[in-house]
Amino acid sequence: MSQQASNAALAAKNAEAAEEAGVREFLAFVVSTETYALPLSCIREIMRVPSVTAVPRAPREVLGIISVRGQVTTLIDLRERLRVQAAPVSSRPRVLLVDQGDEIMGLLCDRVQQVHRLSEKEVEMASVLGADAASYVMGIGRPGQRKADAHGEATPEESGDDAEILILLDPIALLKRQVGHV
Amino acid sequence: MVSGKDGERAREEFLAEAQELIEGLSRGLLELDTGIKQGHRSPETVNDLFRGVHTLKGLSGMFGFERLGRMSHVLEDMLEDLRLGRVELTQQVLDVLFEGVDNFQRLLGDAAEQATVDVETFTQRVHGLARSKTKAHNILEDYDFEASMLGVLTEYEEHRLRTNLEQGMTVFRLRVRLALDVIDTALDQLKERVKSIAEIITYLPSMDGGGGDEIEIEMLLASKKSDADLRTALGKPDAKLSAVEKKRGAGRPPAAAAPHTPKDPAPPTAAAPPAPAAAPVEAAPKPAAAAPVAVPKRPVAEGDVSLRSITSVVRVDIRKLDHLMNVVGELGTVRAAVSRLVERLRAGAAPALASEAHRIHRAFQRHLAEVQEGVLDIRMVPLSQLFDKVAVVVRQVAREQGKEVKLSIVGAETEVDKLIAEELADPMMHIVRNAIDHGVEPPDVRTKNGKPSTGTLNVVAHQKGNHVVIELSDDGRGIDSNVIREAAVRKGVLSEQAASDLNREELLNVIFMPGFSTAREITDISGRGVGMDVVKTNITRLGGAVDIESELGRGTKVTITLPITLAIISALLFEVRDRLFAIPLAVVQEALRLPAQAVRTVDGREVITLRGTTLPLCRLGDLFNLGPLAPNASEHYVIVVSVGNKRLGVCVERLSGQQDIVIKGLGRSLAGIAGISGATDLGDQHLVLVLDAASIIEEVLLPRTGQLAVGAT
Repeated sequence: MSQQASNAALAAKNAEAAEEAGVREFLAFVVSTETYALPLSCIREIMRVPSVTAVPRAPREVLGIISVRGQVTTLIDLRERLRVQAAPVSSRPRVLLVDQGDEIMGLLCDRVQQVHRLSEKEVEMASVLGADAASYVMGIGRPGQRKADAHGEATPEESGDDAEILILLDPIALLKRQVGHV
Repeated sequence: MVSGKDGERAREEFLAEAQELIEGLSRGLLELDTGIKQGHRSPETVNDLFRGVHTLKGLSGMFGFERLGRMSHVLEDMLEDLRLGRVELTQQVLDVLFEGVDNFQRLLGDAAEQATVDVETFTQRVHGLARSKTKAHNILEDYDFEASMLGVLTEYEEHRLRTNLEQGMTVFRLRVRLALDVIDTALDQLKERVKSIAEIITYLPSMDGGGGDEIEIEMLLASKKSDADLRTALGKPDAKLSAVEKKRGAGRPPAAAAPHTPKDPAPPTAAAPPAPAAAPVEAAPKPAAAAPVAVPKRPVAEGDVSLRSITSVVRVDIRKLDHLMNVVGELGTVRAAVSRLVERLRAGAAPALASEAHRIHRAFQRHLAEVQEGVLDIRMVPLSQLFDKVAVVVRQVAREQGKEVKLSIVGAETEVDKLIAEELADPMMHIVRNAIDHGVEPPDVRTKNGKPSTGTLNVVAHQKGNHVVIELSDDGRGIDSNVIREAAVRKGVLSEQAASDLNREELLNVIFMPGFSTAREITDISGRGVGMDVVKTNITRLGGAVDIESELGRGTKVTITLPITLAIISALLFEVRDRLFAIPLAVVQEALRLPAQAVRTVDGREVITLRGTTLPLCRLGDLFNLGPLAPNASEHYVIVVSVGNKRLGVCVERLSGQQDIVIKGLGRSLAGIAGISGATDLGDQHLVLVLDAASIIEEVLLPRTGQLAVGAT
């Protein structure tokens, strides 16, 4: 139940954001040691990790399938997908249900952090990373480049070189079917 | 057109409705076909067809299907000519109509409208059909009709009147008084009663009007029955009924097939002024008393086309039902949780509440079962939908081949899952085509062999437990197993030795082996076989089975057995490397203990000998790369899986029982993983993978087809 309540809260925040031009909301989460973020609009639900059935012959990043309210849903291991180094097993892993357009998929992350409201100023396009950047990296988010407003959940730190950065992901590119990756 | 999702939805609606219309058309044409053969032409059916095509034309226009629209237009014109008797209904005309409906089907099947349907050529074919010449003699002039009546007839009604008289029917004039306040229902009832014994040519409010609360209706009826019979059937002994008499004649109605009286050269008598006088009369029929109220509509002619689609039937996308099915499954797990709660209450938490909770739980369980049954029931469609298509193919192939075939269908009301009905269409067409193509002999051959010149194709369907059985049998020439044997050896499907070991029944089943039948082979086999392996594969994929029996010279029978629904199937559960899997019971022949010492290796493949035949083995754990066997575990069991004519022994560690399961597809991201057809939730929120036996057999056996024949039975 609390999960649904928090989902409702997510939706409400989402609607608020639309009123403010140029501000987009991102859900930040941790995979291994890095912090990533996905547009809040594509997140359907955040859930605890259910019982997972491994699927033989599936691509490496596919952890298996899970049952979400009767629907068979593919679960992706973000550590594999984002090719980050192994880290100790998380104590608070969560599954993000992401709607990628033609299929809802589950993404396993180590910890869900918070929702960030980023203005255009706080987002750097992926081009700053050069041509080598993976197609699913949309840009870099730097929360705290502007004053937090009344809705801000965490007080953003003053901007500085060691301030937190978010790797913003493009859900479509992230979940595009991997071919020949068995 | 609406854009985006709404547009898409509207388009889907259109496609579904058009599909239904086309199926209706094809049923109508079959009715006409039967009618012609029995020497009887049903004007009502032609009218129904006309309305159907008219509606289709309107829909196509609305949704911008240009070629479909043009096709409908051409067909509509043609049916109009038929309706009005400008063209005579013959087998040739019917052929063109069937072709038209077939063209519809193809145009519809391809939304981009790129199907190779040549509308222009078809149009020319239609126009090429000779219009029958206008009748030199107008039979109407021989009868004593009032000009006021003739004047208001539409072209169609006049045509019907003429045809009926020419066929020797008696035309009656009926006048009835009906109460104004119930005119609609009273008129409908009257029409229903009349229709059973006579054709209604037209009806109008009578000239004399009714006066007061009543209105007088005048009808023109055509019937073979006598005056007295009609009165009885009408149930209104006081109805004013009179036969329309011949002018100058002795006053008796014409006998059947009576020669036409020579045309009267004299101008009509005063009682029947010629038609041109009609114009001023047209307005007259309105009875003064009834002017503001119900002037009855004309049902047959035009105008009410669009209202016809109102029925009590709701079209539903099957995906919505799949979704409902999922929800029902979820409720099942909720129920299980409630059940556990009840147990806890009983055990001590609150014994007083326990019995009440138990009662509620029971009621919930009962209703849930009903809902599940209900959803399954909605998915069911009668096989008649499929058999109608079969009838069209039978007619078409028989005419192509110059053969006479009678189709007899029993059990068309038997219901199957919509998805199964869809998937069954192609295999059925194949079998039927083969039966006529290669089974039923040409009429002269049949007569020579002492058979009736018309062949019979029997289609019998019935339900048997959780399965539906469909039998298709013909009384044709049957299959010569020696010819199969030779062909199989020649084609390398069987070795000479293997072929001579097979008995007749086994030889017949060789037909289903891939590589046996090709179009070229058929002519010299003089049996059947086009793509029978495809038929078998398709039916097996549905969890069904197909068998063939044949008696040389007497005929062939193909029996298809299918599960009633795909939504729930029986499955065998088993464990490999400590993981649970399921396999549809329909493909499992047997499961047996695997004696380790019985395993031999032939050409790098493990096999065992099972009742004298060789069974290739597959270690599923290795095939799926599930890692090594646990130290003290071993593969104790073999599940013998059979798809088509191929068998494979799947080695597993443990059998875990049998259960009815609901198979759900994997998401798109995992579509196309060989060997797995989906997953099922056993009720504990944990998914179990379901094996796709056909693809596993193919994967394991296909690269070495050469050895396959040995293991086949």
